[in-house]
Amino acid sequence: MDAGEDQSTGDDVIDISFCGSTPLMWKVSDIKKCRGTGVIGALVGSLARQPRQNVRMGRPLELMQEEALMLEETISASASLHTQDCKDEEAARQYEAVLESSYKEQCTLALEDKKTVLRRIMQKKENDNDDSGYAVRDRLNALDQAFSFPRSAMAIQLCTARAGFSHCPDERGFLYTDWPIPRDERSEIRFRVYRDLRSKGYYLTSAGKFGGDFLVYPGDPLRFHAHYIALCMSMDEQLPLCDVLAIARLGSNVKKTVLLCSPQKPSEAGKEERIEEGVVYSSLQWSSIV
Amino acid sequence: MADSETSADAHKHKIFQELLSPSELFQARSRSHKIPVKGQKDFLPNASEHQRTRLQQSLDEHWTLLQEERVERLGNLVKAVWVPEERQVELQSPAGKFWHSMGFSDRGKQCLQAEEALYLMECGNVQVFYHDLPLSIQEGYERFLSSETLTLHQYQVYGHLKRLGYVVNRFDLSSVPSVYERQLNLPASVDSRQRKPVKRKRSQSPVSSDNRSTSSLEKKTAEHQSETNESLAGQTTPDQPLEELMESLPAPEDSSERTWWREERIQTPSAQSQTRAPRWDFKKLSFPDLGSRSRSACLASPDPSLLPGALEVGDCHMTQWLRRLNVKEEKLSRRERDRQRDRDRYHRDINRDPKVRDCRNWAEYIKLMEERRRQQQKQRPSHLWEREVTPLTQPGQCTSHREVMERISIIKPSSWSEGVSRTPPADQWKISFDVYQPDTVAEFKKSHPGKPYSRMCVCSFDGPVPDLRIMKQLSCQSGDVPVTFAVVDHGDISFYCFKNFRLPSDVY
Repeated sequence: MDAGEDQSTGDDVIDISFCGSTPLMWKVSDIKKCRGTGVIGALVGSLARQPRQNVRMGRPLELMQEEALMLEETISASASLHTQDCKDEEAARQYEAVLESSYKEQCTLALEDKKTVLRRIMQKKENDNDDSGYAVRDRLNALDQAFSFPRSAMAIQLCTARAGFSHCPDERGFLYTDWPIPRDERSEIRFRVYRDLRSKGYYLTSAGKFGGDFLVYPGDPLRFHAHYIALCMSMDEQLPLCDVLAIARLGSNVKKTVLLCSPQKPSEAGKEERIEEGVVYSSLQWSSIV
Repeated sequence: MADSETSADAHKHKIFQELLSPSELFQARSRSHKIPVKGQKDFLPNASEHQRTRLQQSLDEHWTLLQEERVERLGNLVKAVWVPEERQVELQSPAGKFWHSMGFSDRGKQCLQAEEALYLMECGNVQVFYHDLPLSIQEGYERFLSSETLTLHQYQVYGHLKRLGYVVNRFDLSSVPSVYERQLNLPASVDSRQRKPVKRKRSQSPVSSDNRSTSSLEKKTAEHQSETNESLAGQTTPDQPLEELMESLPAPEDSSERTWWREERIQTPSAQSQTRAPRWDFKKLSFPDLGSRSRSACLASPDPSLLPGALEVGDCHMTQWLRRLNVKEEKLSRRERDRQRDRDRYHRDINRDPKVRDCRNWAEYIKLMEERRRQQQKQRPSHLWEREVTPLTQPGQCTSHREVMERISIIKPSSWSEGVSRTPPADQWKISFDVYQPDTVAEFKKSHPGKPYSRMCVCSFDGPVPDLRIMKQLSCQSGDVPVTFAVVDHGDISFYCFKNFRLPSDVY
């Protein structure tokens, strides 16, 4: 059913769910684990605490193609490929049962809560030698009969990630070849650059707004500003001068260095095995020579 | 047996790890709703303890916010059901405040579009069930968003705008009024699909429904039928054309004098096609000048031979119609007055030309113009005009820089809407949403949304930049509402729009 033949460690495999060709991540434990390996992603959903604002977003975490591939390589990640449509009556009954028991428990808790409040008031009134404390005590004693907690007052959870009530079988894909991610030359180049920069310890996020491919951070993006804008291109790609000027201007305006990154062709670096999979970096800096 | 149990438990543990217990649910009622502010960032990482603690604090805060689940009071939730065949969500309990600007009725039931339902799920207002089990937000994304409903990028733009307070509807090509419909400017009461009429600048005439005015007019004419004759007789300053009208009334058989109500005798259609077109004597035909200062009070009723059957039409009382005519002096701003003065300085009114007035029809007019042009050409100095390179204009022909520039221009300026077919462009480029401004939300009516503030076309930085053809097609599709391009890049949305701009071709 679900992935995870490793019963020993319990839940080692990360869940990736695809929306079209975009990989998304829903569980907080998965997101934490990914951040531990340096995969940051971008939060694109509403934040549960305050859903009607755009400053701080919540789950799901949207991954770049490169990040999804990286996860598939390093820690095992599996993608859910097709949502099944079966009707599970047993699960519906179970859900109802869970709801009912939750209601009963919340009733008890609410009653206790109310009693505590009344006792506190009573105590305070007795301390102040207030005679109306007797009325409060009467209320307290009558509470067990008089208290009502309607079903509509019950607190319900609206689950963010899949709750798993239904036991419908789920098709999962372990290999990236099964995933609906397009693989072409451009995404290959990007992935090689991503992997190289990650191995050097940098954190990377998407840089579409800055005219580049990646924003490169020296540390966790929560605490540090990006230093570089990485632009990925193949070794033989010819970049027109006006594009170079445009990206250099942009970089100097936002105070980031522009990096032109090209993965080396394996045949060229055949002599030195050390940089077999190396990436060549060139940086653009505005030199104000007057 | 034991193995499968532990694996089932482990699986259960993994799946249910984000479910809250009843006590947690109960305590969630008194949760804080504030979001902590992000502090200043550092520039370079050093291995200092200070940075490490701050990072840990930020991370802890981050995880706390992320793992909070939505907990709502059951009474505040609207219950709904996902219907995959219709690709919409049906409400099973009455809608809340959101019904004011979202949702629609379908076969007597309140329904929501897929993106509206998903947005409301994320806001914690609606709980959607499928096969009797509540859908999580993840399942909502997986089931509701598809190429037939909305893609993820389109939903991200939708959610972004909704969270800012805009009212966002799906775009419907058939609801865009054509240029002609816009010109007609019909009031909203005529058709629920029509837009609200736009008040014209400087016009005082109120937009009213035609039914009301015609009925009141008929009433008036019936009442004043008897009085009109007296008022007409007692008129002190009758217009010359009106006099003719008066005179013609008692002698309807007089064919030499015609009123503007009457025409040539109507012959049978077949006969008419064989006869020549009637020559109208414009000196005798009178068109009442309603805009003139000395206004007449009413117009006489038409020749009864023109009316069908026993219909009687009384005199037409002009006062209430004249009140609707805007006969105020146009108040121009100083700039406009200067501009008009410059224009009129060398302006020669062709209508005052006596030779033009002598022309009896268009053919004669064209002949006169041709003659004049030939004469002008005869006057041209040959050393200038007979060579290979001729002057651009003749003296007096161009009175402004703009006209001279127009003669020079090799590339004719084209407007935004020229050369566009109304067929929709490639699938990649289509308008997704109508967006209405947040401050109009209070008066927003789902049945008469009115003209949207902008229309959204969703794209991404991975794809191509829209070229001129696509931009023209989209803006033509959109009518007179500007099109904004929403570019989605991993949750970050940037908005771009292209504005039509004409280079000024004259110096004022």
